[in-house]
Amino acid sequence: MENQEQQASAADVLTQAIANKLDYLSTLQAAVQHGDDRQVYELLDQARYYQEIKKTRAARTVNHLAELVDNIHPQISHYLSDNLIDYLGHVYPFFYYEEYTTGRFHIYFGNWWDRRLFGDLDVVSVRFNFDQTEYQKLQQSFELEAQHQRLNTARIEQISSESEALQKLMDAQSVRDNQKTQLREQLKENSQKSSMPWDTSKIKDERQQIVDQLTELADQDEKALNAHKAIKENDDKILVLSKEDTILNYEKQSIRDAFDDFEHFEAHNQSLYADYLNSLIGKSEGGVKTND
Amino acid sequence: MINENDPSTLTTSGRLLNYNEAIKSGLETGLTFTKLMDQLIKTHDADELVAAATQLADFKLDSDYVTFPHQYSNADYYLLFMSRMLELHDQGKHVMVQSRDHHEELTQQLTPLGDRGTFSFRVETSENGGVFYRERATGQSLFYLNLDRKMFRFNSHALTQLFIIDLHDTVPADTVKASVQILVDFARYLKEDYGYSVDFNVLDAANQQNYAVRSADLPAGVVDRLFVAAAKNEYMLTNGVNGNGAQIQLDRNVVVDIFNNQLEGQPEWVLTVHDDDQKVSWFDILLRYPFMRDWYLENLDDLEIVSDPLIFS
Repeated sequence: MENQEQQASAADVLTQAIANKLDYLSTLQAAVQHGDDRQVYELLDQARYYQEIKKTRAARTVNHLAELVDNIHPQISHYLSDNLIDYLGHVYPFFYYEEYTTGRFHIYFGNWWDRRLFGDLDVVSVRFNFDQTEYQKLQQSFELEAQHQRLNTARIEQISSESEALQKLMDAQSVRDNQKTQLREQLKENSQKSSMPWDTSKIKDERQQIVDQLTELADQDEKALNAHKAIKENDDKILVLSKEDTILNYEKQSIRDAFDDFEHFEAHNQSLYADYLNSLIGKSEGGVKTND
Repeated sequence: MINENDPSTLTTSGRLLNYNEAIKSGLETGLTFTKLMDQLIKTHDADELVAAATQLADFKLDSDYVTFPHQYSNADYYLLFMSRMLELHDQGKHVMVQSRDHHEELTQQLTPLGDRGTFSFRVETSENGGVFYRERATGQSLFYLNLDRKMFRFNSHALTQLFIIDLHDTVPADTVKASVQILVDFARYLKEDYGYSVDFNVLDAANQQNYAVRSADLPAGVVDRLFVAAAKNEYMLTNGVNGNGAQIQLDRNVVVDIFNNQLEGQPEWVLTVHDDDQKVSWFDILLRYPFMRDWYLENLDDLEIVSDPLIFS
């Protein structure tokens, strides 16, 4: 008897648990059917919703119901992306998104030539996952702006002066050729000097000096010989760097146009979830229903 | 047996008759020539003009028995033909034909350009036939014309060398534009009135014109250089609409695209110029935008627009 009761209550508990799940799923289903993205977001992460939107601690205990739909996140993301990207298009007019596989989105910064792949958009969490390397370059170039510098200014200058030195080396070929002729003359004279024992070391020193100078000139000749190629390689390096500077400049300008400065941009990114959901609440309160 | 072709078998009077016939036919040729010349110089009918020019283009005035010591070359008839054709379209004033004092030879100047360019035709001696329109000082052949085959081909290399490089510092862009327009008009009349096959090349202002660049597989660095240069000049090189190239919006809705025209297989990079009125060609872009000109010339090895390879090699 007791056993039976236990059995019955166990069934009740399970039935209730299943009912909770069914209830969760049917609520979610209805929200999708009514195009109520706000509710979908609430159901996907109630704790976050209560904390960031209702500004209260989540009243209910954590129920893990959202885990029920973990394996259909790509479809959910695909569904939610429509309205989210629409919204983002207004706030971040310089970001472009590409759904490279169902529900997963690459972020591109700008529509200029060779714009950068800037990270991923996490639609379910309403969050940008920026590529850290690219993001830091942007941040750094904002910092450098105060000093009227671009990210690659220093390196471009360094490579340019390297090229200039190489060019000088090439231009000075005839000067070196003259020097070599003179030095070889001196070498000849040196070897013809009668060598008194007390002079030997002096003549030897002199000879060594001339040989050293000739070696030095030969080294420069070799460098000059390869200079043309090296200058061309430097030009290619400078092109890559100026291109990056140009892209960063466009990125900075875009951020300034939309947010005034980098700090405001970052602040907006921080509050993106709350801002978006509040905009959805605002829409439904305004009586605009998309799905009737 | 009498063989008319073998003088040794003829009687004296027979020989004289033959001789007389040969002279008559030689004179006949001369008369035909003068009629064609009259026609070329005087006619007001464009059809007759083309007919005269086509016949004169390979006319042989001398025969075995009658030769004419003073002759213009066939190339000169082309020059006359060109100026008459323009004249019939009320553009006679746009070219000036000059004859040399001491021998029979014609040269031509384009009125806007004046003495900064002197032009004449040069007969192509190979089997292809036809003539090249050359600037005499630089030797640049701006276009090829073949009346028999009804062919007209502009030469991008020569147009660039002469007008975009050599005359760039001394002749204003508007003057160059007006001068080149005369050549374009001449080609246009041949195309529109006589169905010539014309390659306007860099001068083609039609939006659908694809200007193929020399490096069909264009190195990415070339486009990067335009990107950096454009930014320095307050223009932005954007991703192309079709996603496999780049685009730059210039002034007055003029858009230049550079892209790979082949989505599969061998790449074929091309330039296009779009504008609302289809009046702007790649040549115009080079004239109007110094940074585009610099970019084109600095990368000419890769970017030079391809001309008809069968004519210009």
